Amino acid sequence: MSDQPHLQVKDLSYRYEPEAPLALDGVSLVVPHGQFVAVLGHNGSGKSTLAKLLNGLFLPTEGQVTVSGMDTRDDGKVWDIRRTAGMVFQNPDNQLVATRVYDDVAFGLENIGVPSEEMPARIDEALKLTGMLEFADRAPHLLSGGQKQRVAIAGILAMHPEALILDEATAMLDPRGRKEVLDTVQRLNREQGITVVWITHFMQEAATAQRVLVMDHGKIAMDGTPRQVFSQVERLRALRLDVPPMTHLAQLLRQRGVDIGMDVLSVDDMVKEVKRLCPSCLNS
Amino acid sequence: MPIVLEQLSHLYRSGPSTTTALEDINLTIEDGELLALIGHTGSGKSTLAQHLNGLLQPSAGRVLLDGQDINQQGAHRRALRFQVGLVFQYPEHQLFEETVYKDIAFGPKNMGLEAEEMDRRVRSAMELVGLPFDEMQGRSPFELSGGQMRRVALAGVLAMQPRVLVLDEPTAGLDPSARDYLLGDIQRLNDQGTTVVLISHAMDEVARLATRVAVLERGRLVMEGPTTDIFTQQERLNAMGLDIPESYKLARRLNEAGLDLHGHYAMDELADQIAQAIKGGGGDAA
Repeated sequence: MSDQPHLQVKDLSYRYEPEAPLALDGVSLVVPHGQFVAVLGHNGSGKSTLAKLLNGLFLPTEGQVTVSGMDTRDDGKVWDIRRTAGMVFQNPDNQLVATRVYDDVAFGLENIGVPSEEMPARIDEALKLTGMLEFADRAPHLLSGGQKQRVAIAGILAMHPEALILDEATAMLDPRGRKEVLDTVQRLNREQGITVVWITHFMQEAATAQRVLVMDHGKIAMDGTPRQVFSQVERLRALRLDVPPMTHLAQLLRQRGVDIGMDVLSVDDMVKEVKRLCPSCLNS
Repeated sequence: MPIVLEQLSHLYRSGPSTTTALEDINLTIEDGELLALIGHTGSGKSTLAQHLNGLLQPSAGRVLLDGQDINQQGAHRRALRFQVGLVFQYPEHQLFEETVYKDIAFGPKNMGLEAEEMDRRVRSAMELVGLPFDEMQGRSPFELSGGQMRRVALAGVLAMQPRVLVLDEPTAGLDPSARDYLLGDIQRLNDQGTTVVLISHAMDEVARLATRVAVLERGRLVMEGPTTDIFTQQERLNAMGLDIPESYKLARRLNEAGLDLHGHYAMDELADQIAQAIKGGGGDAA
């Protein structure tokens, strides 16, 4: 991996049609190698548009997007870019094409011309990394939503990407499926050093990222660690977003005159704060 | 009059094999209540929902509305079923008319209502879900935002003026502001007297809205009771792959450590009680 920023966005604007309003409006962003960044924003804020520009699915109306130094407008680099920054979409049923999990993962490799003798090792590795190896011979349509998304991720991993871009990949899953997919992607980030752009509506998912971006009206409205971002409760409300339940409770406690820290994200944080504020309230 | 499920079972047949989707369900849905139905994916929640208005026929048992079997052949069957409105998952996928007005009018039209009554109902349904009539009625449903499309789909069911509203994952995939708006709609409808059955994976929503919770596992009704009684049974729910709301997790941790939190663990209540404990310096807990 190189020292240059992994995903770099400069003065990026995008409109869907010549007369349409700007869906992205002058966005600049640098994502270093190996970072896990969550992107929040209400519907229509521009977060999905940004995702599609990051791997060259859309091309900038103005400005520039580079992936590992490759400009997405460079025609000759399109496949290299999509292989380098793989994308997972919301609906698990629209992404799988084959009748067997194994073949589905092979499909992407065939597309990028991987020699057939290399394929079995890469497919096995990708299925192992997503915990789906034991399902290799199953029919994708019989899997759960979370399993389908893990197969979609395996299909990308087999191409040896450096970044994963997930556009609300858990929105249609049940809680167990959501956890499966998030755990898998966190592990890939931690153990394989894969850069992750995680677009979500779920504040609790974003709370686990290294960095949180909040989009609004096609611009980056907030950018910081989860604690920095979620402590700004009023600002988030104004951007039509929720805060995690425990952050909300911390705000209610402040309104009641309790001098509690505003960087409470989890139940653990809240228990610690109560203990700090009133050691004699708790017996352990 | 309530909806009564009596020893309801449902078998799905596919080829030679059968799967039991529901087994011996006994459940009464009381007039005006807001009941949440929770359970892991595949536990039978959506199948149960479809029995509530006769979309599916029981393999055994009965579904009674006002004491009448909704699946019995007879003159009232159709009328009975109109009283239970079912909003499916991702209902906006089923919008199909050219305008918002026509889409919402589709149900009432099917009921054979007069044009005037139909018009009145479309207007009132749009008002209920916060869609401004003049601005929205002539627009194509397909150019609306996801949250607006879902409200159009909900209005289409409300226009039939059901006494019971069954919602299957009504907030799935919505952003937080659209979700809040829709939850507000549901709460308001219930306050105005509509019985609501809410199917949801979002435990924080269930805790916020429901007064009673029924839990399904592998087609069986395994728990049922007031919301507080259900969510304080963390181990049992976790064993079924279900989570409990954050507020209940916190209350439990703090109670185990010596605080005395009680009530329904709504955020406001928790804040009151925790603030009081901290200000009191833990006098009664120490």
